[in-house]
Amino acid sequence: MGILDVFKRAAAPFSRRFVPRAAVAERELFDDEFQRKLEYLAMVSKRVFAGSMKAERRTKKTGSGVEFADHRDYAPGDDFRSLDWHAYQRFDKLLVRLFEEEEDLSIYLIVDSSESMGFRAAEKLRYAKELAASLAYVGLANLDRVAIVTADSEIAMRLEPTRNKKRIFRVFEFLRRVKASGDTDLKSALRTFVAQHKRRGLAILISDLYDPAGFEEGINVLRYNKFEPFVLHVVDKRDGGPELRGDVVLYDVETGDEREVTVTPAVLAKFRTEYDAYLARVERFCVTHQVSYFRADVEMPFDELVLRVFRRGGFLK
Amino acid sequence: MNGLHFTGVAGATLLRAMAALGAVVVVLYVLKLKRRPIAVPFAALWQRVLRDREATTLFSQLKRLLSLLLQLALLGLMLLALGDPRTAVNKTSGRHVVVLIDASASMKATDVPQGAEDAVRKDTPPRPRTRLDLAKERLRQTIRGLSGSDRMLIASLDATVTPLSTMTGETSELERALDGVRAADVRANFAAGLRYAVDSLRGLPNAEIVVASDGALGEPVDGQGPVDLSGIKLSFVKTGDSTSSRNVALTGLSVRRYPLDKSRYEVLVEVTNTMDEEAEVELQLYGDGKVTDLVELRLGGRESTSRFYPNLSGADRALEARVRLKNGEDVLPADDRAYALLPERRRARVQVVTRGNMYLEAALLLDGYLEVVDVLPENYPAEGRFDVTIFDGVAPAVAPKSGGIFYLAPPSDDHTPFKLGDKLKSDKAFPLGFDELEDKHPIVRYLSLGEVNIASARELEPREKKDVAVGRSLKGALMVAGRRKGKPFVALGFDVRDSDLPMRVAWPLLVMNVIGWFIDEDTGYISSYRTGEVWSIPAAASEKTATLALPDGTTRTVPVKDGRAVYLGQDAGLYELALPDGKASFAANLADPTESTITPAPTLTVGDVKASELEGFTVGVRRELWIYFLLAVLGMSAVEWFTYHRRVTV
Repeated sequence: MGILDVFKRAAAPFSRRFVPRAAVAERELFDDEFQRKLEYLAMVSKRVFAGSMKAERRTKKTGSGVEFADHRDYAPGDDFRSLDWHAYQRFDKLLVRLFEEEEDLSIYLIVDSSESMGFRAAEKLRYAKELAASLAYVGLANLDRVAIVTADSEIAMRLEPTRNKKRIFRVFEFLRRVKASGDTDLKSALRTFVAQHKRRGLAILISDLYDPAGFEEGINVLRYNKFEPFVLHVVDKRDGGPELRGDVVLYDVETGDEREVTVTPAVLAKFRTEYDAYLARVERFCVTHQVSYFRADVEMPFDELVLRVFRRGGFLK
Repeated sequence: MNGLHFTGVAGATLLRAMAALGAVVVVLYVLKLKRRPIAVPFAALWQRVLRDREATTLFSQLKRLLSLLLQLALLGLMLLALGDPRTAVNKTSGRHVVVLIDASASMKATDVPQGAEDAVRKDTPPRPRTRLDLAKERLRQTIRGLSGSDRMLIASLDATVTPLSTMTGETSELERALDGVRAADVRANFAAGLRYAVDSLRGLPNAEIVVASDGALGEPVDGQGPVDLSGIKLSFVKTGDSTSSRNVALTGLSVRRYPLDKSRYEVLVEVTNTMDEEAEVELQLYGDGKVTDLVELRLGGRESTSRFYPNLSGADRALEARVRLKNGEDVLPADDRAYALLPERRRARVQVVTRGNMYLEAALLLDGYLEVVDVLPENYPAEGRFDVTIFDGVAPAVAPKSGGIFYLAPPSDDHTPFKLGDKLKSDKAFPLGFDELEDKHPIVRYLSLGEVNIASARELEPREKKDVAVGRSLKGALMVAGRRKGKPFVALGFDVRDSDLPMRVAWPLLVMNVIGWFIDEDTGYISSYRTGEVWSIPAAASEKTATLALPDGTTRTVPVKDGRAVYLGQDAGLYELALPDGKASFAANLADPTESTITPAPTLTVGDVKASELEGFTVGVRRELWIYFLLAVLGMSAVEWFTYHRRVTV
């Protein structure tokens, strides 16, 4: 270490990249109160969806279920038992019957752990963790397979698929270890994710979607690889209305890009418009591409948000 | 800049300072602004906002350039102000001006355009605009036209000259002084005003005397001769309109009671037409506020007429005469009223110490307003306070509360304020009588005593020089008057029964005159004073000062000398002097035909010097330019501040 490095380290707290964190967390993550709320959510989810059988969630995968799904041409090697002889009689053509395979659902919770989620005392990240934990508990309670990964420019951490709600403490422990770091690159990270997880399922992306390369690419990776994307867009309204005034240099917490700007009320108003437009663009993209979308405002209690998700549908069918 | 001259910091120094400070400003401007670093979660969102802002970069640079130019302009203006630039017109050093404002009675004339209400006058109810108001307005403009190096002094010119400000360039002080000028009912003492102005301006550069007047000031000549202006410039601010100067005036009013019937009186009024043309006037006489007489008169151009009102009764105290033009408006109301006060009637108490004197008793019976108490010599003094005590053939020691003493044939001079001399007898060669009389003395005024025959008498010798031998025979004084400790006395050196005096009309009149003089009710009573003169008003001899209430209700403390209060009266009307034992009232009138002749003079001439029109006091012409430069700096800074805080220029 040269003398220059020593100087840089000493000066680090005073550099513009230094962001003081909240000295003490407001309350402990996943405390008893939180766990009671989880139990309540699990009960509510069962009452709301009383008609649903456990592990009877339909998947896009065809297999050995009992519900007819489609026909396809016979190919050598297919099981003769699957041939539709009635069709052969009528059309003189060998067709194989396909059934929807019934299996336990795989739920993947993809938590964005980039630096932007840690902005402003990591409130967004904490909220994302609470959402992930609650959804994981509901999934585990419904005997689904739940896996959690954290994403920045890569898949940073992984919790292997697991079931049984007793495993929720593993989930808590995993999420507690998640820290905000790294840049956001959803496309790269989710490519890695789909490569690592062959079993398709519900992919719940919990993120602020602050991706310099574009959030669309990341969601499309899930769509193209036959995952069922479900976007929980974590939003902090203060991002759209920063309390700035005067001559400042703005820098991105992830990329460090700097922009000199003189902030006036007119500039702030324009930025707010731009921010609202960005939120609308995300929602429009999801709606257009039949991706379940839900905006998760950090100011809303997480249990209320989860209930809203349930009521609107799309998470449990 | 050719027409500008720097009278402050030199031009070359200013250029060097501009170069150095301008360079500093440019360097400071070139320095990059240290901006505050602020973290944002997603800088890409700012991209579009800033992209639009970049579209205006050219405008921003232009604004920045404009800002630099603005700073340089501010610097330049401040340096120019330091240079104190002046135009060639303004390069001369400051003027010294004494303004004499005519505050005489004629300045109360209303023959000026009435027009819009003047902001200076805030009277309630509003009064007509006068020549003085117009002069003040013009002088106000003059004050505002003063340059920074000019100095002015304002003085009011009435019977005296009164400086109202110092020699100053402060316009607020001068305007205050101007507000303080008010016209009095007097003639202006022009000579005194000019002498004061010349003395004030002696040795000062660019001296100038400004006279604001209607020009009816007369020749400035006084006891020292004509006034010499010593080469000082004279300017004239003319006010008044010669075409509408219509005025008639009351130039005299006097009244007196009849000596033997004090409930009746006679009045003399003098009316003057100051115009060249004939005038019809209406003259009214009021007694105690009630109309006593009304008469219409026709007066020729410049004519004066007197009107005598004999044998009037009814009024107890105040008389007022009013005159008005029958056709048209009189522009000077100040001389349309005159006031006079009748001598106060008092019931005087008279103590007669005698063993019996029929002639004396008969004389005292003539005045019903006397309360006579007869006392035998051995019973003197009687109870109570008396205004007059008559010692008939006795001369005891004077007891207190005896008032004035009238000695008739005193037998001894042990207790008298005079000495008794030789016995005088009448004989054929030198019949005894009054051969010399002080006929202006109140007790013998208008009396015919020269033919009185006296059989025998005692010569009277005054003990003090100020005592007066009112009547003398060739052989010695027969009648002496004087004062002791403020109390008057009169002595007659013979018994009236030893003369034919009781057979004459003069006897009771002499007794009345003596009593009248003792109680200050002499025939020389002044029924009204004339304004502009120093008045000597009878007052208590023991006092040093007295309080005088003026016609406008204000009071003044005036000095008292030898029993007379001294005051230079400038306002017509009724006055009241506070005395230890009561109050004395008197009236004052303008009564000045010259001042009432108000036709304004077109020009003003002092000796050989003819006054010029006032010039060089146009507002703003002679102002120093540095004020405007600093005002421009202030204005530009205000605009810059406003636009900066409204985020227009950032």
